[in-house]
Amino acid sequence: MAGLESKIPVPGVKNHVVEACHHVVKALRASDNNLDANLIKLLSDLETHLSTLGMADTKKVVEDTGFSEIKKRFKEAKKVILAWEQNQSMMIFDAGFSEADLFFQALYDVQKVLSGFKALPSKTSKKEKDVYNQAAVVLDIAMLRLEKELFDVLNQYKQHVQPQHLSVSSSRGKDIVLDESFVSLDDEVIAEATDEQQILGSNNAELVDPLIIPHVKAIAKAMFACDYSQTFREAFIAVRRDALDEYTATTLEMERFSCVDVLGMQWEDLNVEMRKWTKVLKIVTQFYLPSEKQLCDNILGDFEPSSSTVCFVEISKDTVLSLLSFGEAVSLRSCQPEMLERFLGMYEVSAELLLDVVDSLFPDETGSLLRMAFHELSKKLAERTVTTFLKFKNAVATDESTRAFPGGGIHHLTRYVMNYLKLLPEYKDALNALLENIQVDDSIQEKTGQDILPSTFSPTARHLRSIVTALESTLERKAQLYSDQSLKYIFLMNNCHYMVQKVKTSELRHFFGDEWIRKHIASYQHNVTDYERATWSSVLSLLKGSSNDSAATSRERCREFCLAFDEVYKNQTRWSVPDPELRDDLHISTSVKVVQSYRGFLGRNRIGEKHVRYTCEDIERLLLDLFECLPSPRSLRSSRRR
Amino acid sequence: MRPAQDNQGSFLGRISIRRNQFTDVNTEQEQEDLELFQKHIADRFTELLSPPPPPQQPPSDETNTVAPVPATEQIMSVTWLRKLMDVFLCCEAEFKAILLMGRDPTQISKPPFDRLVPEMLDRSIKALDICTAVVNGIDSVRHYQRLAEIAVAALEQRPLGDGNVRRAKRALSNLLIALSIEDKENVSGGGGRSGGSSAASKGGATIGQLKSSSWAVGRNWSAAKQIHAMTANLAPPRGNEAAGLPLPMFIMSTVTVFVMWVLTAAVPCQERAGLANHLPVPKHLNWAQSLVGIHEKIGDEWKKKEKKGSAGLMEEMTRMEKLGHSLVEFADGFHYPAEKEAAESAAAQVAEMAEICRRMEEELVPLQQQIREVFHRIVRSRAEILEVLEQAGKLSAPVV
Repeated sequence: MAGLESKIPVPGVKNHVVEACHHVVKALRASDNNLDANLIKLLSDLETHLSTLGMADTKKVVEDTGFSEIKKRFKEAKKVILAWEQNQSMMIFDAGFSEADLFFQALYDVQKVLSGFKALPSKTSKKEKDVYNQAAVVLDIAMLRLEKELFDVLNQYKQHVQPQHLSVSSSRGKDIVLDESFVSLDDEVIAEATDEQQILGSNNAELVDPLIIPHVKAIAKAMFACDYSQTFREAFIAVRRDALDEYTATTLEMERFSCVDVLGMQWEDLNVEMRKWTKVLKIVTQFYLPSEKQLCDNILGDFEPSSSTVCFVEISKDTVLSLLSFGEAVSLRSCQPEMLERFLGMYEVSAELLLDVVDSLFPDETGSLLRMAFHELSKKLAERTVTTFLKFKNAVATDESTRAFPGGGIHHLTRYVMNYLKLLPEYKDALNALLENIQVDDSIQEKTGQDILPSTFSPTARHLRSIVTALESTLERKAQLYSDQSLKYIFLMNNCHYMVQKVKTSELRHFFGDEWIRKHIASYQHNVTDYERATWSSVLSLLKGSSNDSAATSRERCREFCLAFDEVYKNQTRWSVPDPELRDDLHISTSVKVVQSYRGFLGRNRIGEKHVRYTCEDIERLLLDLFECLPSPRSLRSSRRR
Repeated sequence: MRPAQDNQGSFLGRISIRRNQFTDVNTEQEQEDLELFQKHIADRFTELLSPPPPPQQPPSDETNTVAPVPATEQIMSVTWLRKLMDVFLCCEAEFKAILLMGRDPTQISKPPFDRLVPEMLDRSIKALDICTAVVNGIDSVRHYQRLAEIAVAALEQRPLGDGNVRRAKRALSNLLIALSIEDKENVSGGGGRSGGSSAASKGGATIGQLKSSSWAVGRNWSAAKQIHAMTANLAPPRGNEAAGLPLPMFIMSTVTVFVMWVLTAAVPCQERAGLANHLPVPKHLNWAQSLVGIHEKIGDEWKKKEKKGSAGLMEEMTRMEKLGHSLVEFADGFHYPAEKEAAESAAAQVAEMAEICRRMEEELVPLQQQIREVFHRIVRSRAEILEVLEQAGKLSAPVV
């Protein structure tokens, strides 16, 4: 009540001015639908102000006039209020401003009657007491009407805003699906949509039509003034809590799951839910809740800031806790390596929200339960993420095969790991924070050489390199399974080249650094040399002989060379060097060596043309077939002989 | 801070010292530990069943001196529920010490533990969901509290007029509907989203749970089914198992199920039909006697309540309901100006209602926090046990 009585009384003549102002406001609203936000706010404030000016008018009346005057006023007020009682289907708001104003005027008349009597209860006569009693009943009728009005207005004018560029429900494209054998993450999967950055373009959406704000404020003011604040809060909380629940469940399609559900879920389904959760938590906490808080502040902040906080926490509590409990439930699962990215995403969003909004949304004692729940979850996710990260590394380090990888191409483990690692730089801040104190053996000890970027020496970089080091030793073990030395080198070359390519062409290069890249280029080039020595040294040695060899000996050498070449051809056309550039390089450098030696041999020795099965051009052409991963052994004898 | 917790501290200390002295787990000592554990369980529940008389109240106590042993200590009161949470946490800590401390990890991965441990962990997951549901249920109780506060505030008005009584009656009716509402009515809410406005037009904007879409736990989740599932494979160990580790595992599981059952019965909770049937507690065992006593008391109440529908057996809610009915009666017979006698007796009831509200205000949120603590404790213990099992797996079957 105190708030109302402090207003300046307005002499009767000014009512016209007030009325005129109302008209101006209305006309302005009607004139243009695209009023800018500032102006809208100004108008709303003005409207609220005007309605309270009108109400304060009643103050003097009670003091100055006699009982009959009071009774008369009360009768009129009662008529207005009871008329609305007959008209339950219509909202007062929809009847227009002046009608609403009449209702609030009447209400304050009644309230004045009551407070007038309350001040002097002992002097009052029986008649007067009866008026007091009736006034209290009429007040309660009016309050009930306002409670309903609050419900209806908030429900009918609520707006569910879909943040732009956002689609939570669809799982775009192919998801990363992984089984224990690291099979299915291929290069094309990386077309991960990264639209998350765009979600929060516009903060503070209007969760209800701004038109109703002055009206709701007026309801709040009236109910608080008449000691119905508790009722107002309960109703307000109930509507807004349900709106948030509906938003989360329907618009964002976030279902609630029990721990039992989450533990029983298939990984593919869980993966989708975890991804969705990451977005939903962000939208709800960073976008919806600040708007909700602003709505509470708008309506209650002016005259009861503490109520605003209480309402906001009660509105948010249920949804926030249920979102957080999904995170808790996921943390109960044993950490599989494939969960790494999802966990990282979940951790990252929780850490970001903690840094950003949680403390300001839930600052004091009232919100401590929610604030703490956020902190607890974030801590848990951090721990789970690190565990998963280490498990991932361990899985890479201990991956075993029993058979050599056919064709010597790029092992699916290499593909998987490198493509997975490419996803991680996006989470570098989270990773740096998480991995800071985790011990790691890194191949690059300190800042030396050409690497100057700090990212190359960040905890993330060290751990990423160490994962690749683990991958390299695993590949080394897999390479030992080849009985053919040459194929082993091709295998190592292919895989190392693949790693370098993945690093060079992605964000990873800032983490691995130039020195790493240089070393690894050298490493696969070394594999090339090793291969050439292993395959071609012995073959080419067949062409070597002394200058005084007989023609027969030379012919025999040539024959042996061609046989050996056939053998290489038969084997190595089935081998695979998937990268075309690398294959070209390999063809060229082999060709240079082999053709040159062969040409030299043919030049040095006179061998009849019929004894020469392959010309230099044949050899050059045939070499191009190597590493083409041909499906079946191709015999040169039948097809290639001229 | 509470005696039980001091107890637990020294108990843990003793176990760790002993186990450190004898690297091998000595069966005789283990036997002693088990007996101590059972004794502690028995003591704690006996105290819960019949609390010792409160110590002499200091003369300068700020609370009013009416009713010296108030209902606060009574079974199912909010204070009692908070004690129950403490008891659970103590039992759990002791149990974990017995199970894990100084023990060779491979021991709990061998039969019969390869069956018993996973079963126990499975129960703990179900308990987590119940904790979540109950925390949510307590929010509903806080809503009842606020309805009661509205009624109290209205009836405390002087002079008391028809308007105040009208308001109080409305709040009380909503309170009584909320208190007697059955779980199913709560959850379906017929027509979902329209629930809000239809309730408003009936005269009370905020009856009980106006949740449009869901309960705290997932769709189709049922507290009674979870409790039932927790007891499904819960049987006292037989033969030579009865003397060893399976016994405390059985005891702890029983305590867990029991505590969850009590919470579920105390406050509104998703789907509780048939809750009374679901707790086979062995009656002949020493440690279980008081627990069985409490169970029977609550079970009887539950059966009575289940027939007429009830939001929960929390003592404060039960009293709120009684007071609510009699105040509605007062309101029905009220004519302005109030008759002195009726007004006085109503005033006493209003004061009692106010006292209940005050206690709820003080204790409900801490109770929620305790239940969250229980949640986190269960999660932590489960993780620790899983870790030991993983270790055991590595020890017994080294990675190829």
